[in-house]
Amino acid sequence: MAVDIEIFGQLVHNQPRRQSMEIQGPTIARDLARAVGLDLDEIGLVTIDGVQSGLEDAVRPDSRLCFFPYVSGG
Amino acid sequence: MKEAQIRWEPVPQKYEQVGGRALIAKLLLDEIPPACDALGPHNKLIFAPGLLGGASVATAGRLSVGAKSPLTRGVKEANAGGTSGDSLGKLGIKAIVVENQPKPKQFCILVLDAESIELISAGDVVGLGTYATADRLQERFGADATVICIGQAGEYLMTGAGISTTGERDQRSNHAARGGLGAVMGSKGLKAVVIRKPVGKAVKMADEALFRAASKAFAQKLITDPKLGTKGSQHLYGTASIVGAVNEMGSLPTRNFSEGKFEHSAELRGEKLRELILAREGKIGTRCMPGCVIACRNLFADEGGKPVVGSIQYETIALVGSNLGLGKLDDVATINYMCNDFGLDTIETGAALGVALEAGLAEFGDIDGIVGLLKQVGEGTVLGRMIGCGASETGRVLGIRRVPTCLGQAMPGYDPRTLKGNGVTYATSPQGADHTAGNAFGARNEVPPLGTEGQKALSLRLQIIAAMLDSTGLCLFARPPIIANPQLMIDMINGIYGWGWTPADYDRFNRDVLRTELEFNRQAGITKNDYKIPEYMREEPLPPHNAVFDVPDADLETIFDTL
Repeated sequence: MAVDIEIFGQLVHNQPRRQSMEIQGPTIARDLARAVGLDLDEIGLVTIDGVQSGLEDAVRPDSRLCFFPYVSGG
Repeated sequence: MKEAQIRWEPVPQKYEQVGGRALIAKLLLDEIPPACDALGPHNKLIFAPGLLGGASVATAGRLSVGAKSPLTRGVKEANAGGTSGDSLGKLGIKAIVVENQPKPKQFCILVLDAESIELISAGDVVGLGTYATADRLQERFGADATVICIGQAGEYLMTGAGISTTGERDQRSNHAARGGLGAVMGSKGLKAVVIRKPVGKAVKMADEALFRAASKAFAQKLITDPKLGTKGSQHLYGTASIVGAVNEMGSLPTRNFSEGKFEHSAELRGEKLRELILAREGKIGTRCMPGCVIACRNLFADEGGKPVVGSIQYETIALVGSNLGLGKLDDVATINYMCNDFGLDTIETGAALGVALEAGLAEFGDIDGIVGLLKQVGEGTVLGRMIGCGASETGRVLGIRRVPTCLGQAMPGYDPRTLKGNGVTYATSPQGADHTAGNAFGARNEVPPLGTEGQKALSLRLQIIAAMLDSTGLCLFARPPIIANPQLMIDMINGIYGWGWTPADYDRFNRDVLRTELEFNRQAGITKNDYKIPEYMREEPLPPHNAVFDVPDADLETIFDTL
């Protein structure tokens, strides 16, 4: 079972902007952020299936997980 | 303006400790009948720099423009970057108050510098768009003069008209866009204000050391903020940096606010904007005000490298891009340029066009059809005047029920069904649906945007902060250091003026802005029912989260009980 991961803005360095990652068993967003090579301090916003979430929140198989840098509306 | 008279007045004591939005609110409440016709002789149009204007504080040169709004029928303040706020501050001008109106109608230009001020005939700039007006007036008064002007929309008294101001060098189109203030300027017969560049003028400081220390610390905090510094999203991608996030959260207005996600949003993101601009040798990461260290402005160029428009902002992308079913930044740039030139608020006009498309005047995504409709605004046809008067007017004429407005003003680029904190701001702010009045998008870690809990307190806190920003002349992006340490702002103000403000004085100042505005609106006859989120947004689920706006009325009606 795979999670669809997308990385936004300046969080993208050398990894692909979008990738699919297989997960086995309980997984949280933090684990997947590390797995795709993100610096946790640079992550400002996380969404799981479009819902604002935290790095400690569980990610289910077939979910869509997005990592954003710090952003603000205006 | 009735007799083209100008008079200088010393600042009355009661207005000494207010500026920008705060001054506008007090002047309107004190000096105009709140129930007056917003486009009639009793309304007043006010240009006022914030308390920090002219003091060379990073990001603090915004110009506030205010009047009774012909859209909301209530108090209105909109502010813009450029050089006007800084110039007026350096000249020591607290406000320009434009009263009455000429009969028969004729257009004038107000020209001022440190030694003189005069009203002259607008002559051959009448009927021109904002770009040509600014070009001609800078040819005449100097390339470094600031030009504040309206386009055709303001001349026609369209209630979706804004006011444009120039910036450093050849920069154009910083807009005090919201609330139909361009129509108020048109109703006064004022086509433009020209401010010759102040030379050798500086704000006098009561305690220069205190001011310097605070303003330096403030600028340093901006530079090191993860959102705002040179490695931050705002600088790299501009306000468009949030397109991806807002879309992902299901809040991006799409096809007249009927969906919260747009299938072509990747083509509208800040990342795409940056890629195109760099490839076409446009400009990105430039500033809209002297001394700004955030520098989130851009200049978009076409495929041939020819500059089209600057700056493409998030709100414009949302309202004239996804909201109209347009998935190309080139199309957004075309609409943006036209709105800027006619002197139209892109939010109000995008929402009005969305309503018009829902009524079948063109297809969503049909750029030629949309341009055809927008051209009519500049031509002043009956159809064009309907669209130029905004979303509510367009909905009434065309019989469309899905009209995204609060208090008669179009919602910006965040659907309130999935970003409920913004919905609370839209439904309670004395400014109507206005993201700059208290935007909850950045407060993601405090209150989940899809829930109803905590939205009332969050919105109130943000509305108080916004009142402070708009009254001091600070850009709203500069809020993080002040929120973290309000003493920085207190020290800058005390350094300039020597008022000896305490944190309690500062807090009272901020809250008084809202109290004054709410009182104006009350006296204007605006009731709690006028503020409400449209009924369809309370009943019609928004895909993909299928959420409705369900913050209880009790929360909305009591939000200011603790103000």
